[in-house]
Amino acid sequence: MTAAGRSGAGSRRATLLVLPAVVPVVVVVGAALTSAVLLSLGLTPLVGRPELSLDAWRATELGTSIRLSLAIAAGATAVATVVGLCLALAVTAGARRSRLLATLSSLTIPVPHLVGAAAMGLLLADAGFLPRLLGIAPADWPALVGGRWWIAVGAEYAWKESAFIALVVAGALSSRVASYTETAALLGAGRWARFRHVTLPLAAPALAASAAVSFVYTLGSYEVAALLGRPAPEPLPVLAVRLFTSIDLAARPQAAAVAVTTSALGLVAVLVALRSLRRLAAEQ
Amino acid sequence: MLVSRLGSRLGRGALAVWLVLPLVPLLLWAAADRWSAPALLPQAWGTTGLAEARAAGAGPAAVRSAVLGTAVALLATPLGALAGRALTSGALRAPGLVFGVLLSPLVLPPFAVALGLDVLLLRLRVPAEVGLVLLLTVAAIPYTTVVMRAAYAAHDRHHDEEARLLGASAWRVVRSVQLPLLAPAIAGAAFLAFLVGWSDYVVTLLVGGGRLVTLPLLVGAAASATGNDAQVAVLALSAVLPPVALLVVIGSIGRRARR
Repeated sequence: MTAAGRSGAGSRRATLLVLPAVVPVVVVVGAALTSAVLLSLGLTPLVGRPELSLDAWRATELGTSIRLSLAIAAGATAVATVVGLCLALAVTAGARRSRLLATLSSLTIPVPHLVGAAAMGLLLADAGFLPRLLGIAPADWPALVGGRWWIAVGAEYAWKESAFIALVVAGALSSRVASYTETAALLGAGRWARFRHVTLPLAAPALAASAAVSFVYTLGSYEVAALLGRPAPEPLPVLAVRLFTSIDLAARPQAAAVAVTTSALGLVAVLVALRSLRRLAAEQ
Repeated sequence: MLVSRLGSRLGRGALAVWLVLPLVPLLLWAAADRWSAPALLPQAWGTTGLAEARAAGAGPAAVRSAVLGTAVALLATPLGALAGRALTSGALRAPGLVFGVLLSPLVLPPFAVALGLDVLLLRLRVPAEVGLVLLLTVAAIPYTTVVMRAAYAAHDRHHDEEARLLGASAWRVVRSVQLPLLAPAIAGAAFLAFLVGWSDYVVTLLVGGGRLVTLPLLVGAAASATGNDAQVAVLALSAVLPPVALLVVIGSIGRRARR
């Protein structure tokens, strides 16, 4: 770019081009967050006098929901990361790349999570397809749907997000991994050494970034836990939506408090991920 | 060698099963009239599920979802394209900050944004449909921006300069040079934006207040009831097949462009 390109006119033109996207994002995100914070502090009640209070923050069982949401997101993301990396390797690395696996995982991408949840219900319920396949009677099948360990919920997120992680990591690996591993093999590196010192470092930034996106998505997603989870305790999104849609208008500030908490957790997760990505980049 | 090849084959098989298995009961149930446990396959095949899904209003709901997806794609794709062009022009001040702002809807849970804005939309008397399209467009802008930014970064500006040298107007360069070269990326960005509108559940539920019934809302309602597995399967499949068909079409656009 020449010095003239950076001049006032070019800069003004670029700003004009980006504004139509920036303005709605800033207005919607800013207004939504401000409105949620004000509502949670009792400053914008639908009925009655505005009054600053922390009642909404004290009334809800935030602690339990935070722990539950973090546990579900961490567990599902851990499984999705391992499976997603294996998928990406099967699709890109090695002499026999799997076209079939590439097609199957890209077909999983447009499946909405809600549909995934419906499918997991039909697969994992006590009269579902998996117990039938394994020949286990409904009475002997553990409660995976609506059970204590949120297995069906975690399985759905892990299933969908593994395909997403595989797509991102395969994209990062496809262009470079073959030549590097060939060089390493020529230099006498064994299978494990090639994986440990060539493939994994090449995949790490994409893997970390896509895992962070999955974690934040899972943390804030409503429908899967609402369909496949148990009634109590509730993850943050389920708690917020129930409070918000309840007939009791007094519950709305509590719903807003839960929404603000979830947003803050997502933001912290992204900042942590960005820091570790920067450290990864510095190491390489 | 043989052991490792066998291991790799087993691993690939396991990965294929992982990807496909959840969709198998969906396909079987969609065509099952009766399928009681512990039978591995349906005892009676038929179209009960389809009839039930149509009775539940799957047709009009699918039209509503398609309109919503199209509206979001029509708005978010050009906005993302303009932003992607500005971000790669090198003339923008603080491009990192601008990109971060445009990606911020990815960080915030959709339910939190919808919940915060719902009160405001009610106060300002914005119709639910308009609010919904606005919210989902904002949710789709990160995807269209990322795709179009990557596409413009890979776009060879020499083509534009040559066309200008040959006397083409700025608008002609956009229409005859950039649009054809960027067509696969534009199609990809539009597909992702369509998907945001087509498959949204929680924002429609909160902002629409249950009055705006799209296909995902029908899937959610059917899946939370019991004993209607065939209907759930048909509704779920009808939410998946149109985007998959679109994906195939877009894939062929991409292949034709590369030829």
